[in-house]
Amino acid sequence: MSRKTLASSGRRGLHPGAWWLWAGCMAGAASRTTNPILLLLIGAVAVYVVAARRTSAPWSRSIVVFLRLGLVVIVLRVLLVIVFGIRLPGHVLFTLPHIPLPSWAAGVSIGGPVTAEAILQATLQGLRLAVVLVCFGAANSLASPYRLLRCLPAVLYEAGVAITVSLSFAPELVMAIGDVRAARRLRGRPTRGFSGLRGTAIPVLERALDRSLQLASSMDARGYGRRVPVARGARRAATAGTATGLLLVVAGLYGVLVAGSLPGGGIPFVAVGAVLLGAGLATSGRRTNRTRYRPDPWRGPEWIVSASGMAVVGTMVASGILGVPGIEFVIYPLGPPTLPVLAAVGILIGLVPAWAAPVEPGAVSIPDGSTTGSGDPAPQVGAAA
Amino acid sequence: MIKLVDVSFTYDGASSPTLDRVDLALGEGELCVVVGPTGSGKTTLLRAVNGLVPHFTGGRLSGEVLVDGRSTREFPPRELADVVGMVGQNPAASFVTDVVEDELAYTMENLGLDPEVMRRRVEDTLDLLGLHDLRHRPLATLSGGQQQRVAIGAVLTASPRVLVLDEPTSALDPAAAEEVLGSLTRLVHDLGLTVLLAEHRLERVLPFADSVVLVPGRGAPLQVGSAARIMEVSPVAPPIVDLGRLAGWTPLPLSVRDARRQAGPLRERLARAEPPPARATATDAVPTLARLHRVTVRFDQVTALDAVDFAARQGEVVAVMGRNGSGKSTLLAQIAGVRPPTSGRVDVGGADPAALSASALVARVGLVPQDASLLLYSDSVAAECASADQDTNLPPGTTAAMLERVLPGLPVDHHPRDLSEGQRLALALAVVLAPAPPLLLLDEPTRGLDYPGKARLVGLLADLAADGHCVVMATHDVELVAQVATRAVVLADGEVVADGPARDVVCHSPVFAPQVSKILAPEPWLTVQEVRTALDVEPVRG
Amino acid sequence: MAERRRVTAVVRLRSRASILLAVTSVVGIVAFAWPLFLHGTSTVSQAHSADAPWIFIAVLPLLLAVVLSALAEGSLDAKAIALLGILAACGAALRIPSPAVAGFEPVFFLLIPAGRVLGRGFGFVLGVLTLVVSALITGGVGPWLPFQMFGAGWLGFGAGCLPPAKGRAEIWLLTAYAAGACLLYGTLLNMYFWPFGAGTTTQFSFVPGAGFLHNLHLFVLFDLTTSLGFDIPRAITNAVMVLVLGRPVLAALRRASRRAAFGAPVIHEPVAVTGVPPDRGAGLTGD
Repeated sequence: MSRKTLASSGRRGLHPGAWWLWAGCMAGAASRTTNPILLLLIGAVAVYVVAARRTSAPWSRSIVVFLRLGLVVIVLRVLLVIVFGIRLPGHVLFTLPHIPLPSWAAGVSIGGPVTAEAILQATLQGLRLAVVLVCFGAANSLASPYRLLRCLPAVLYEAGVAITVSLSFAPELVMAIGDVRAARRLRGRPTRGFSGLRGTAIPVLERALDRSLQLASSMDARGYGRRVPVARGARRAATAGTATGLLLVVAGLYGVLVAGSLPGGGIPFVAVGAVLLGAGLATSGRRTNRTRYRPDPWRGPEWIVSASGMAVVGTMVASGILGVPGIEFVIYPLGPPTLPVLAAVGILIGLVPAWAAPVEPGAVSIPDGSTTGSGDPAPQVGAAA
Repeated sequence: MIKLVDVSFTYDGASSPTLDRVDLALGEGELCVVVGPTGSGKTTLLRAVNGLVPHFTGGRLSGEVLVDGRSTREFPPRELADVVGMVGQNPAASFVTDVVEDELAYTMENLGLDPEVMRRRVEDTLDLLGLHDLRHRPLATLSGGQQQRVAIGAVLTASPRVLVLDEPTSALDPAAAEEVLGSLTRLVHDLGLTVLLAEHRLERVLPFADSVVLVPGRGAPLQVGSAARIMEVSPVAPPIVDLGRLAGWTPLPLSVRDARRQAGPLRERLARAEPPPARATATDAVPTLARLHRVTVRFDQVTALDAVDFAARQGEVVAVMGRNGSGKSTLLAQIAGVRPPTSGRVDVGGADPAALSASALVARVGLVPQDASLLLYSDSVAAECASADQDTNLPPGTTAAMLERVLPGLPVDHHPRDLSEGQRLALALAVVLAPAPPLLLLDEPTRGLDYPGKARLVGLLADLAADGHCVVMATHDVELVAQVATRAVVLADGEVVADGPARDVVCHSPVFAPQVSKILAPEPWLTVQEVRTALDVEPVRG
Repeated sequence: MAERRRVTAVVRLRSRASILLAVTSVVGIVAFAWPLFLHGTSTVSQAHSADAPWIFIAVLPLLLAVVLSALAEGSLDAKAIALLGILAACGAALRIPSPAVAGFEPVFFLLIPAGRVLGRGFGFVLGVLTLVVSALITGGVGPWLPFQMFGAGWLGFGAGCLPPAKGRAEIWLLTAYAAGACLLYGTLLNMYFWPFGAGTTTQFSFVPGAGFLHNLHLFVLFDLTTSLGFDIPRAITNAVMVLVLGRPVLAALRRASRRAAFGAPVIHEPVAVTGVPPDRGAGLTGD
């Protein structure tokens, strides 16, 4: 079989790394602005793509959780500002009774005049964080955790195996709890209350531990843990790379925190250090010679989706650097928000995955063990709900 | 292909060696069955071939184990994965991934094979074991037989020369067991693999075996030889061998076909002898201990039981048989009140078991589930007995006395999970029987039990039935049914297909008939004991 | 001479792994508490102070990967991995009821005895993996995950560093550790949330350049108002569960560790040097 046919016979659906990259770029773009129009646009784009490309898998509903979380963050911010905000002049909306706290509270006081500017600023900062969370939620909904595990680099192979074992075992754990409770009743013991909890939890734990031993012997017998001796030069290079990378990262972080100590605020140091660490990791990954069966291909649709994400964050950063007005919403003086065209167009490019990403075939629902798909994939109608 | 040279092995902390100066040599293309009582060291022997003993378990190994020229001294199990494939007792516990296709590829990924090679071998293995329509299924949704075949396929993709299996058919119904053994035989004959398997249910495996290793345990030397030769002297033997010894057949037949060819004279003698005594079946006058009235149980779009009518009477031993997944366990669970039925009525001792309190339930019905360790909670056997007495308000020592009756000589300071299958089952039985419930439910009691253990169980169940208890057991061990059941109920797809005296239901069924019945058909004999009794009593004719 | 191979701890902490762990921990502490360390009052630092949390969130997973890879090198065999996977699943299952009841997060009650019985390296990896598995199962991989992984990893590591004790003293020791460590975990997580939750416009917000102690004071006030209501129930829940269920859990883990024979020596007796051992007559195949 040629490589091309191998790749085309790989799994349908976008590579999860591409989804995370796209979502990360959208989140990065959101974190650089406080313009409410742009923020809401980013949020809307993310939600639309999720609605267009989600599957029936259980994780596809997690965006709702993140939306709720975002709302909670906004409300929390606004409440904190109303009660504890720094009082600055502005259009006063209402006044809370002013209660100064004792001296150990570092001069904090409760209440006072609450201005529209303060509420608006808190809302916008909360909105920014909420939109970032929505982008994370989009990545969670679109990228299958099982496929993500398959894409882990070779160096994290042990951790990946452990996580795979956990994910496969979790539904059995739920069944074991049911079995143990039923059996307890057969022994005439209570299943409710505290002794019920103790009597259920400990046998389930013991069964899980016995099961882990059987699993370990099977893994051992199937060749887990074969190692390839790594050449000494490569090992030294990996250690040197990791050490240097670590130093650069630490130095760069110091530069971020202590302004003006390093050129560029330390960020280039962090970037270079991260690259070196990644290279060191890749080299140590060569100690196992595992191969991957039907690896997820990274082809055209993945490149398109990644490029659209880059475009979103790129236009936003460029607008910021060029000083385009409207990126940072101006609180004082209060006025209607403007719409920076370049950034808005860039955000709309983020809609591309809604059409470019391939449709996932009927997803198999792992945790409850039922299967809704077979070898013949039925096209999933993009439920725009 | 496999060579054990003067091998002795002692576990870390054990007082005596588990394997003592074992010599064994198996050639290519041989299917060898390891037999012996529970705890005799069969599993240790199997794991020594793989290298798991001593690398995984720790301990002291002397002598040499050579597989395809490689010694386990230098090669730990992971380096032997391309030569030896091992399938453990519980295939579901050995799955690492979540989909069939990925599980098949896992071993090859560890070995670092090329993706094209992997793809080819996965397709070949899917065809070889008949799994191609299961390839995308999650492993948790497969049946027992399918899981066993996936486990075999998962080690087969590495193209090993040796397959080692530990009790592959103990959890399977007869049809699935035939499939698995058929696949193994095909692998031996078509690919020349060497297969080494340990099994308690010899009646299924013996027709296919080329050689047999008898592990008597307790330091006695191993005996290796062809199946017929070893069976002549083996203390553990399936009914066909017992019948052959009784009738004096030589050479000893191992399959039903060979036995029928020699069984002509015996059949004629038995046709003239007294027919076997009818097993006491309860009439309608005997009180009913449990009744199901048009019970339907449905979960998750699966109908486990469909309008089932069932009654269990005092003094009966009812065997509920059927394919895996036909609803046997669900039936028992309904009688025990584990969950209320979707529709219909369950009546145990005049009450609905799902609504009873735990102590009232224990006084009416006792259930020993498939996994006996679900009932055991304490740190030691003695503590378990004491807590069982406490739970059911019995005088202290009752459970321990029951345990002595069920299995004498069980060490009381062992942790229940460290016991062998038979010992665990005995402890669970003692715990359940101590409050003397009138109705006893058993789910697959003979899984993992050797012949002596099964004989003890048969005796206990017969005593219980004579005392007026009722026993309902869900099993696919047809020999057990033949020995002790008075009534047999066959379930398929959640419906009752047959319900009548055991002899009538079981004798003429191709799937559920015991070996003696198949050999002596059309005469209605179920066990070797019945034949022996008839031959002793029969007047000698000239 | 007979060969001997002895493995002492489940996950050995070699010097390289220890150094990496130490450095990463320092970076981790800074990642949590960076507002306390921020210097300078110029507008440049204001802009960077908005970036700092995201830089940390991007860097922390990379550092954790480096530490995990160093710990795994040569030391994590099949038994350890299987145990890690299964225990991580159990721990993740314990987190599932927590969104329903605020503050009830008993996940650490399994992590602490596991770190105690199986060692500190194992405890660290188990903490990290439990949080990852829990995030994957509940579909909640968010920007809080690297911080939670770190916190749980330190918790497991700390449990392995406790002094030896037996019987009731051990249970009380673990209970006290559970209460204290959970409170610390809650405080640390609140610290990373501080810039997000309070921003720059409340009186609790950090003031760049105002000095370590002043910012710390502000943080304590923020903590009192926001998260102590969650931290205290969590600490109490975990401590009570360790107190009541600790002994059987410890016993089960010790038994599993014994059965897995992590420390059992593998001894191969030498073959007789007088050449090939003599063939035994009886017992070979062939009639």
